[in-house]
Amino acid sequence: MKRRLLLYFALVAALALAASLALVLAAGCGGKKSTPTSTSGSHAPVTITVWHPWTVSSEKKGFENAVAGFRQQYPWITLKIVPYPNSDEFDTNLIKNINAGTPPDVMISFGPDYVGKYAADNLLIDLKPYMDRDSFAMDQFAPAALSYTAFQGKQVALPVLTDAYGLYYNKDMFAKAGISSPPKTMSELMTDAKKLTVRNSDGSIAVAGFVPLLDFNEIGPADFAHAWGGTYFDANGQPHIGTDPAWASALTWQKQLVDWYGYSAITDFYGTYVDKEWTSQQAFETGKVAMCWDGEWRTAMIANDKANVNYGTAPFPAADDHPEMYGSGRVGGTITGIPRGAQHPDEAWLLVKYLSTSTDFLVSLANGLGNVPTTKASAASSALHLVPQFQTFIDVWNNPKSGFSPPLTATGSGYADILNSFDEKWVSGKVSDLQAGLTQVDTDIANQLALGTGP
Amino acid sequence: MRRRSARRKYGIVLLMLSPWIIGFLAFTLGPMLLSLFWSFTHYDMSSSATWIGLDNYKFMFGIGHIKGMATGAHDPYYWTSVRNTLWIIAFGVPLRVLFAMVTAMLLTRPKRGVNTYRTLFFMPSMAPRVAAALVFVFLLNPTTGPVNHLLNLIPGVHAPGWFYDPRWSKPALLVLGLWGVGDAIVIYLAGLLNVPRELYEAISIEGASAWQRFRNVTLPMITPVIFFTLIMGIIDGFQYFDQAYIAGNAASGQNAVLGRPQNSLLFYGLWLYQQAFRFFHLGYASAMAWVLFIATMTCTVVLLVTSKRWVHYGGGFQ
Repeated sequence: MKRRLLLYFALVAALALAASLALVLAAGCGGKKSTPTSTSGSHAPVTITVWHPWTVSSEKKGFENAVAGFRQQYPWITLKIVPYPNSDEFDTNLIKNINAGTPPDVMISFGPDYVGKYAADNLLIDLKPYMDRDSFAMDQFAPAALSYTAFQGKQVALPVLTDAYGLYYNKDMFAKAGISSPPKTMSELMTDAKKLTVRNSDGSIAVAGFVPLLDFNEIGPADFAHAWGGTYFDANGQPHIGTDPAWASALTWQKQLVDWYGYSAITDFYGTYVDKEWTSQQAFETGKVAMCWDGEWRTAMIANDKANVNYGTAPFPAADDHPEMYGSGRVGGTITGIPRGAQHPDEAWLLVKYLSTSTDFLVSLANGLGNVPTTKASAASSALHLVPQFQTFIDVWNNPKSGFSPPLTATGSGYADILNSFDEKWVSGKVSDLQAGLTQVDTDIANQLALGTGP
Repeated sequence: MRRRSARRKYGIVLLMLSPWIIGFLAFTLGPMLLSLFWSFTHYDMSSSATWIGLDNYKFMFGIGHIKGMATGAHDPYYWTSVRNTLWIIAFGVPLRVLFAMVTAMLLTRPKRGVNTYRTLFFMPSMAPRVAAALVFVFLLNPTTGPVNHLLNLIPGVHAPGWFYDPRWSKPALLVLGLWGVGDAIVIYLAGLLNVPRELYEAISIEGASAWQRFRNVTLPMITPVIFFTLIMGIIDGFQYFDQAYIAGNAASGQNAVLGRPQNSLLFYGLWLYQQAFRFFHLGYASAMAWVLFIATMTCTVVLLVTSKRWVHYGGGFQ
């Protein structure tokens, strides 16, 4: 009796394991091979699936309207557009589907963070053969496009509009404080921030000049370091935060301003507004901060929220001894590519090409979403209806020193968390030796990257 | 003849059980064994797993030499996550037990409106955890939240920064946890109402005080309930996730950045999740999961073994 019971269990266990193994093995296998056919002459009806991460219904509709031109141009291709409900899990879910052999033909993602992994693990196909065939040149985009669409020599994605970051400043507050132009250097930023700050009688902050804390409207230590020309990695790809002097200078600047406010006062202020970033109560829109680092989309949000703020925009200041950095900054946005195993890669390429370069499409989407148009032609189009303050972000995007941050690695961008969490501790005053701390950050980043790459 | 019918009976039992057995093997035991295997490999979901022996465990505990890393390489946040998790267990579980017990005892008192009180106390535990966490982030906002408005009215009190202060972020989660303790209250209430009246009558005749009644009758009689809530609380504590994830995200206004402020909310489950699904270190995350499993099992077994000494089963269950 017992033996039969055992046999039964063994059988079911074997079945279960076999099923699990089959799943794992399926993960290793791809679908069709993706070499471009010499011409895409066949006009046989075909349906291609597109996954995108826009969740707001107006954005979804905006995208569908913007691709109308593609439908007209390629009437034999039917688009099956699938909006993915959660943009934060979009890439993880896409990777699972590529591994399971059920990817869409075209992916559109908000996450350049994953492009390194997409390239290193061949999750997206290299578009180069298609680009060569169609004489598709990368110089129709700003040079910064390469920093988040290509990795290890593989062009696995193309940009579809981008974000660019800069400084927003409140003109009325500037006039009141007698400041005539936005700060161009980090010491001007510090002086202006102090001048523009208004305190309550109990010492708490009523209006902050500039909040230098992590993720107050997207800023991080790497953005400060950029002002000093700082980079995460040296020429050999090793983290050099502990040895590149830009980092210590940037973090010292940041702490000086935090200390001037008083850590407790500035964190109370931070806590009041940081979670309002995506609401009409956002601190800059409501006149609670005089200057803030933010993305180009804030121009559209200010308009949509009908915020009563008289504002200007400018590139983020550069360090006093690094004037060459002025005008550049962090950029990077939506990308599109063809997953490995796509059923119709040739038709998928037609759509990827359209999404990344059609001026009509990019202008229509940029007008709707308020993001930076990525091609030179679309940025110069007369059909673009964006507020005058928007020009700063187009310029930042086109600046040759701009780039995506944190830089792509084969294992994603999680390593930046190590630096960010060190920065949180540093500004709170819990780090006694900055240099030793930054060196430790290098070690921890190197280990984390090694853990991701494996033996 | 008898043997055959017994065998058939077994067959039928197994047949009836097979939906569960197959489900358990395919969706619980299978993945568990697979994750045990992965814990000894480098696996990132995209390429096939490579055997690396104990390297994941070495990295976790910072012992020995790991290929491709400098000597002494270790996970910088592993022990932070362990400490945070032990903190929430050490403070959260006893507080929950105490709070639920005392509230339940109070709820046995009123003569009128008992059901209303019970409903009121139970209601919070029906609120979805996500919604509750979001509400608490609002309530506990350091400057605009109503809680701090009240606290600031007290002279000499500087209201804490709650989710923005690493010293107060975990206590904020405790407050959230105690608010939703209704499910435990119901269990304690049932336990308290089950204590035989004769025992109280007997001890009252002996002239016992209220404390003696509690100490010698109530407490021993509800030890099974305490034991149950203790075990469930500890298991939940080891897997602490939702509230910290939601509250952390909502307070920082950022998605997918876990553990803020200053990693004070980086619990074991959150760090494991981050390793697996943000960094794609599936091998390492599997190793973390196994250590968590072993720790939870050990605690449960220790509690089970020692329970014989202090848990009193009135029904005489041996």
